[in-house]
Amino acid sequence: MVAGVAGGLADSLGVGDSFVRAGFVTLSMVFGLGVLLYLGFWLAALDRVADVEPDPVSGHQAIGLGLGFTGLMILLLTVGLWPSNGLVITVWAISFGTAFLTDRNIPNPLASLLDPSMEGPGRMRMLLGVGLLIGGLAVFAANVGDIFNAGPVILAVALTGVGILVAFGPWVTRLTKDLGSERRERIRQEERAEMAAHLHDSVLQTLALIQRSDDPGRMSMLARHQEGELRDWLFGNTPLEGVDLMSTALRQAAARIEEAHQVPIDFVSVGDHVLDARTLPIVGAASEAMVNAAKHSEAERISLYFEAQETQLEVFVTDQGKGFDESSAPQGQGIPHSIRKRMENAGGMAKIESLPGEGTEVVLTLAIT
Amino acid sequence: MSVEVYLVDDHRLFLAGVTAELSEEFDIVGSAQDVDTAIEEIRGLIPDVVLVDVHMPDGGGIAVVEGVLRTNPDVKFLALSVSDQAEDVIAMIRAGARGYVTKTIEPGELVDAVRRVDAGDAVFSPRLAGFVLDAFAGAMPSDDDPELDQLTTREKDVLRLIARGFAYKQVARKLNISIKTVETHVSSVLRKLQLTNRHELARWASKRRIV
Repeated sequence: MVAGVAGGLADSLGVGDSFVRAGFVTLSMVFGLGVLLYLGFWLAALDRVADVEPDPVSGHQAIGLGLGFTGLMILLLTVGLWPSNGLVITVWAISFGTAFLTDRNIPNPLASLLDPSMEGPGRMRMLLGVGLLIGGLAVFAANVGDIFNAGPVILAVALTGVGILVAFGPWVTRLTKDLGSERRERIRQEERAEMAAHLHDSVLQTLALIQRSDDPGRMSMLARHQEGELRDWLFGNTPLEGVDLMSTALRQAAARIEEAHQVPIDFVSVGDHVLDARTLPIVGAASEAMVNAAKHSEAERISLYFEAQETQLEVFVTDQGKGFDESSAPQGQGIPHSIRKRMENAGGMAKIESLPGEGTEVVLTLAIT
Repeated sequence: MSVEVYLVDDHRLFLAGVTAELSEEFDIVGSAQDVDTAIEEIRGLIPDVVLVDVHMPDGGGIAVVEGVLRTNPDVKFLALSVSDQAEDVIAMIRAGARGYVTKTIEPGELVDAVRRVDAGDAVFSPRLAGFVLDAFAGAMPSDDDPELDQLTTREKDVLRLIARGFAYKQVARKLNISIKTVETHVSSVLRKLQLTNRHELARWASKRRIV
């Protein structure tokens, strides 16, 4: 409680710090052994980073701690350092009873004892603590004389120790807690600054551009593009870090073409697939189809639909524009090379359906195993 | 008699915009910017269709839909939102909305959507169709009611075409069926979406399917 050793030791042992504190107090009974141990641990723990949240006490650790403690007591008894039965039992019972009752996770022990909605183990623990306290006091009452024979000095030391524990233990705990919350607040502020920087670079810039633009089409396109970008950032449309996905690549391609050609592209994806050397050509072919639609279809918007099925990947680029008659269409480089050839080289297929006045649909398929 | 429409949105500007777009076609009987006012007024006015925003303080659109449907099960809701988050959309439909469109929808399409909802049909935007296909894909059906847990091949065909950007009329022509049949399929999907117990629906969005 002086240097946080009990708490630190509790963290490393994985038990409640009040248990460790109770152990120290009891050991202090025996010619200041506890005080020495405390100092020892304090020196040993100087470089320890008390940053880690303690694990809840597990059964194994509790049993281990209990056995070790009992062993130590027996050792003391054997080498003749045992002060007196009554004294040790009293201090032991009271210390551990208090430990059972005071836990940083249970703010008000009495309330949780009375409240029936408390979880089972918590109540058990409370009852055990109260039982130990009462038992300790009973032993004390029965052995008053004996204890005074053992030496008023030891009693005084023990009582002072308990007093300090009760008075300052919670305060020290709270102090370390405050440090923790300060650190959290700092992290929060850093996050806020990061967010402000991001919004400045993206949204504020776009808003400035929109204010300076007098072309409504350009304005709405800027707004749309920014909306998509902001949504990606807010909702994290890239679900797996470090893995590139088809849906992400297609969404980015659509956003790029949308901005370059000033035509809204609605993207819908069902399922997903990893983007690799084999699937990358679909993104290229789909981009080409979107550019064609944007340039030639005169459609008000373009739809991009991607579905990853169990055996194949499918991409549809659809527009409701003017369409064309495939036999009479000018054969540029776009359709035969960039779309058909690209898909065939990748082991897939491209199908282009178009009717004059009805729009065009490019269907890309690639079998997957 | 013109269709009575009520608007719920906490953004005044948006409210004004939608009112302007719809007032020529419909009778805008009122509007609210918060959940409690909306529930109270809708119960009093009993409009045909309520356009409701998904994201609002105090429970959002879901609270409005659930609050009204408890006492007035005949009021029809069309969800309108900027949110493309699958959980929001699916939650809204499961609360009882008959459709979902994004706020970027063209005015003409919004008018069509309101008419369709008023006629008792469901309105699926391409994105909602995609969400539904994704949500129902892959996983095994639960034991309770297998029929509710799966989409028929025809229903999937219809949803895929909607997701590809085709209007109901074009979907009907592509599949050689009537518009009425398309509407029936979509309504049936809506019913499954609202009634299925599939637990995947609640959390499918967090782990989108990757083949």
